[in-house]
Amino acid sequence: MPLAIDEDRLSETFAALASTTRRAILARLAEGSATVNELAEPFDMQLPAISKHIKVLERAGLVVRGRHAQYRPCALDPTPLEAISIWAEQYRQVWETSFDRMDDYLTQLRSPRRTDDDDG
Amino acid sequence: MADNNAPQDAVVIERSFDAPVELVWQMWTDPDHFAAWYGPDGASVPVAKMDVRVGGTRLVCMEVQAPNGPMQMWFTGEYREVRENKRLVYTESICDEHGNVAPPSDPTEIRVELHDLDGRTRMVMTHVGIPSDSPGATGWTMALDKLATHLAALP
Repeated sequence: MPLAIDEDRLSETFAALASTTRRAILARLAEGSATVNELAEPFDMQLPAISKHIKVLERAGLVVRGRHAQYRPCALDPTPLEAISIWAEQYRQVWETSFDRMDDYLTQLRSPRRTDDDDG
Repeated sequence: MADNNAPQDAVVIERSFDAPVELVWQMWTDPDHFAAWYGPDGASVPVAKMDVRVGGTRLVCMEVQAPNGPMQMWFTGEYREVRENKRLVYTESICDEHGNVAPPSDPTEIRVELHDLDGRTRMVMTHVGIPSDSPGATGWTMALDKLATHLAALP
């Protein structure tokens, strides 16, 4: 089972994703890298506000910035999102196991008087 | 990406059971039945309180055997939709044994839909919104990590 998930990192990723603006920025970056100015365009927001959002995404490891001093284009790094899907997968496994148990339990409930009729 | 139903934010599971919808409905709404199946192998549900009506609350304790003794996890929530034998929607947050949720909290939502297939039941369960605020996420992550460890340790 893939359990090597860094909890602090995951929390940071969730926190970073808990903003419509930041999710929109990521959606834009999924199409290709962009400068802060380009990212700010669709939002009714001042550059410093957008920069703040980008910093949060950077800290969460979801965005990396280029080295060109002037533009420093932003690019998406999907690695932390993979951790989330692994996490969701564990969630799914817990439910799947529960429903297996529900199935067994239903079978028990429904055949209290039947004794191996069908099993030959 | 802002869509709540994006696969990344939800777990959807579909199952069919050889039981009538009335009975599968009870699996979710009758505390004794719920306690019999909820949780991974080896888990037990020592407490299940359910006030199954819109606005009613629920409080559930799940106990798993961790390497250093039993570990309890408490969940609370509110029923949002109750359509008998058809659809049940409730919220869920990690809480303490008194049902207090550590703020700020962002509950997840569980939706259960039942379809009658001539005496059998098709069930679609959707668990929406992996908690996106960090305290909630931390709680869940820890809980699930321990659970997963526990599961991995089973023979």
